[in-house]
Amino acid sequence: MIDFARVQKELQECSKEIDTSGIRVSPKSDNLARLTGIIPGPLGTPYEGGSFEIDITLPDGYPFEPPKMKFVTKVWHPNISSQSGAICLDILKDQWSPALTLKTALLSVQALLSAPEPDDPQDAVVAQQYLREYQTFVGTARYWTESFAKASSLGVEEKVQRLVEMGFADSLVRSTLEAVGGDENLALEKLLSS
Amino acid sequence: MEKGKKIHVNNEETLFKTQEEEEKREGNDGPPPEEFPDEFQCCVCLDLLYKPVVLACGHMSCFWCVYSAMNHFHESNCPICRCPFNHFPSVCQLLHFLLLKLYPIAYKKRERQVQEEEKTAGHFSPQFDKSLFEPQLRDTSDNLGNNRTLSHLQTDLHSESCSKDGESSSFKDSPKPTMHDEINLATSLSSSEHAANVPNQGSNSRNDSEHRDQKKASVTDLLCVACNKLLFRPVVLNCGHVYCESCFVIPKDEIAKCQVCQSLHPNGFPSVCLIVDHFLEEQFPEEYSERRATLLKENNCSTQAQRFANRATAISTDVYSSWFFGNGPKVHVGVGCDYCGMSPIIGERYKCKDCVEKIGFDLCESCYKAPVQIVGRFNQQHKPEHEFEIVPPLSISDFIFRMNSEQSDEEGSDAAEHMDDASQVTTLEVGVQPDQGDESQEPEDISPSLILSVDVSLDQEDDSDDPSDNNSSHLT
Repeated sequence: MIDFARVQKELQECSKEIDTSGIRVSPKSDNLARLTGIIPGPLGTPYEGGSFEIDITLPDGYPFEPPKMKFVTKVWHPNISSQSGAICLDILKDQWSPALTLKTALLSVQALLSAPEPDDPQDAVVAQQYLREYQTFVGTARYWTESFAKASSLGVEEKVQRLVEMGFADSLVRSTLEAVGGDENLALEKLLSS
Repeated sequence: MEKGKKIHVNNEETLFKTQEEEEKREGNDGPPPEEFPDEFQCCVCLDLLYKPVVLACGHMSCFWCVYSAMNHFHESNCPICRCPFNHFPSVCQLLHFLLLKLYPIAYKKRERQVQEEEKTAGHFSPQFDKSLFEPQLRDTSDNLGNNRTLSHLQTDLHSESCSKDGESSSFKDSPKPTMHDEINLATSLSSSEHAANVPNQGSNSRNDSEHRDQKKASVTDLLCVACNKLLFRPVVLNCGHVYCESCFVIPKDEIAKCQVCQSLHPNGFPSVCLIVDHFLEEQFPEEYSERRATLLKENNCSTQAQRFANRATAISTDVYSSWFFGNGPKVHVGVGCDYCGMSPIIGERYKCKDCVEKIGFDLCESCYKAPVQIVGRFNQQHKPEHEFEIVPPLSISDFIFRMNSEQSDEEGSDAAEHMDDASQVTTLEVGVQPDQGDESQEPEDISPSLILSVDVSLDQEDDSDDPSDNNSSHLT
């Protein structure tokens, strides 16, 4: 069983410091073993402006065993699988210490975003690109941030659905939404005027 | 202390915490009963430190938190700085009683929590203050406190060292011990870990009932066991005794020893416990700077040099792996020494045949040979007349099996199950061995997870297969 008293304390601590850290942790359900973390993309990186959702599962031995974390938001990064969101980070594996918390672990993940380790890759394709065509890598990473990690891109499916229900073609709705940066009202105006 | 049980302890421990958590949520409206500063928060459970253990690197955590965070297969690392260590230090009683005095309500609450957890788990931490829970004694100590109001300061001078003695200082019979007596007690070098710190408790209960605000530490709560002055740059030894950095001297070419309890301090020169150091500086600015001034005058440069010279006496990591490859000293994975705290035990393992506690009572070779009266680290009621037997460690093949199951499983609880399986397999093998007459009885009366040993003959048989075993273990 997990030390839930500690998890509860961690959540309280974390919510106190949201303004400074920007890191949010919230339970998915009542049992506190499944949580969701949200980290802002670090400034000055291709991930800037994005907010990345991380799925957290606490093992039975927590805090004596590391929490299991993976990205839900798709992210283009050498140490994060572009397919599964798996994170390659030592403190989430053998370098875990019970003195670390969900917040500090998420901070480390955030630091990983700003300091990729292409020599110890999780996603070989991304790592190759990072090493060989850095500019392309930055472009792709930025594009992925824009497409998947921006607040405007959140809930895009619902927007599409609503606009489609108004009688517009699916593909047209998608391209219009993309053109206006995901703003539903602007997209609607544009669709109506076209 | 055996690893096989550890996970179970955790399971039940945390089960309990969830219940507690629910209670807490229900009563969330009121403010927390007693605030304690962040420096006394355990880095592992994020609660008030309870029965604090100070590691050689100077970082501290609760007794059970350190135990659970330890790796009982090879050396452990400090949760905060990852400084390696292989001895589970004893509880620092000075800090234990200090916290009890400073935050009586919060500390008692923690005590109740932990006691419930321990009761569920069937494993216990050492008890220092039995008298608190026995009404008779409590009354006496209350009276004692009142009687001693005037002499409080003087007697408290010796209370810490006196507290190391539980049985001989029966305050019940002599409610007013003279200072002379106490000094005698203090110097009697009784190593009993049972400390009924009656004088301190007396003053606590007085504080509780009459002066709620007087929960301040006095200089007498924080004295060096060697110089008997206010601690300056405190270091905590493996046995839990606290010295000034300059008062703890390691003789040349000898292993460090505590002058109070004579137990060995195997971890090299300990680092200053900075949390206590800051606390001292904050609470007693005058006394502390005075101490600094006098020490500067004495100009004790030797301490620094000595400190660095003796830093690296910890067991090298090679030891664990050399046993793995069959050419080093024996390593008893999952078993710790109940006296010095070495975990896992390296070298010969002496197991008490008469201790009934399910956690068992084991000693390493040097502690077995040291003629000291020993109380178990997990409050086992070990008696000097108990008999010991030498228990061989796990066979190498079994060790590899376990290492594999630990590595392949991502969750510790699974590993624990495998460990239980492994020991069951082991016991079966033991039963089959014809030359194992004495040990084959064990499965009947001891739970399988406790049996971590196989006859050496197994190793010898397996010796020829070892290289291939190792290879396959790497390949999988």
